[in-house]
Amino acid sequence: MSQEVGHHHGSDPNSPEIRTEALEDLLAEKGLIDRARVDALIERFEHDLGPMIGARLVAKSWLEPEFRKKLLDNADQVLQDEQIQGAEIEHVEIKANEPGIHNVVVCTLCSCYPWALLGLPPSWYKSPEYRSRVVREPRKVLAEMGLSLDSDTEIRVWDSSSETRFLVLPERPSGTEELDLEALAQLVTRDSMIGVAEVKAQ
Amino acid sequence: MSTDHRVHDIGGTEGWGEVPYDPNEPVFHDDWERRVLGLLFQVLPHTAKRPGEFRHALERLASEDYFCADGYYGRWRAGMEVLLHEYGHVDKAELDNRLGVPHGTSAGYRSANVAAVNPKSLPPDRNTPLPERRTVRRELDEPPQFQIGDRVVAAGNDESGHTRLPEYVRGVAGTVVKIHPAEVLPDSTAHNLGDRPQHVLCVAYQAKDLWGEDAEEDVVVNVDLYESYVELKEGVS
Repeated sequence: MSQEVGHHHGSDPNSPEIRTEALEDLLAEKGLIDRARVDALIERFEHDLGPMIGARLVAKSWLEPEFRKKLLDNADQVLQDEQIQGAEIEHVEIKANEPGIHNVVVCTLCSCYPWALLGLPPSWYKSPEYRSRVVREPRKVLAEMGLSLDSDTEIRVWDSSSETRFLVLPERPSGTEELDLEALAQLVTRDSMIGVAEVKAQ
Repeated sequence: MSTDHRVHDIGGTEGWGEVPYDPNEPVFHDDWERRVLGLLFQVLPHTAKRPGEFRHALERLASEDYFCADGYYGRWRAGMEVLLHEYGHVDKAELDNRLGVPHGTSAGYRSANVAAVNPKSLPPDRNTPLPERRTVRRELDEPPQFQIGDRVVAAGNDESGHTRLPEYVRGVAGTVVKIHPAEVLPDSTAHNLGDRPQHVLCVAYQAKDLWGEDAEEDVVVNVDLYESYVELKEGVS
């Protein structure tokens, strides 16, 4: 249980801690929420969900050309076959990076994101800076974030304005020929599947 | 670009600084963020149950609450406060009373009301089989009105109802590159005006068409648009 939030000694009623705690208390008193279920949900989001689910798909597609083709053609079927379920992946499309083509995902209107493949989105993905700028000047934004693309690489931005969710399939780095599925999946970062980073061999 | 009436519709707006990027950011920064996430999943079944309804609650927040110092989870909490007040579960004064502060701190004091959307402005509803599970997907008998390769334009409107048409593509021609499965129309469901399911088009826009000659080279922005948002661009085959 998380009753310790009830013993906060902060006194600023406008602090997020105090305000959230007051709201939770009101909801619990009115019977609108069950604190144990709140705890269980947090536990699931924090520990069971995360980019490792997407990373496995990426690593497997690097190793198995047939799997890669299926993933790019019909990701929904692959997710069903792999028994991957959960929030925000009712329809998924995978966009493959290749030499000369780089994909990057955003949601300019809110913060849509494939939760069941990547976990909860990071703050920067939800920031107005990213949401506003990556559709107008993606090359500059990516460079600022540490990803400098060749000037002749085409950038394809995917704005998640419907219920379709996008995942980037990054390129496999050289020097990873000996690695197996698990080792490859360890290399695949969340940010590479959003499209703001490349996968590095080490 | 008119952004006053749609606080959330910021794609392509200028004046923002560097992205606050931290590659090693934790899932939550503070425990209260965890609580907000956990609470939301139990508050929504008592409040915003329809597709688009919670998003629209966030969109109706005052700018100071939408871009609040508490970040994304602060925005969610503000959205919950608005919905809990509107659905009669927690009056906006009640939270202030509990906090021992003068009335007026809750986001519900500042948020816009749900706009009245004229159903005539929406495409007609269609009878589709109701799915067995909760989903935004629908099976449409009618084929899409557009084909891959069609040049289309979305006119949009200046109403304050919920929509998934970003301002930055309004009036700009793009090319249909893919057709996604059909979905209920959030412009309708958020306002309790029925499913009105639509085919969903993925439309590719050239950066130069969106932003002018100063746009970056070799950039394509793909936006998913409900079919009723767009018309064929005249004079182009």
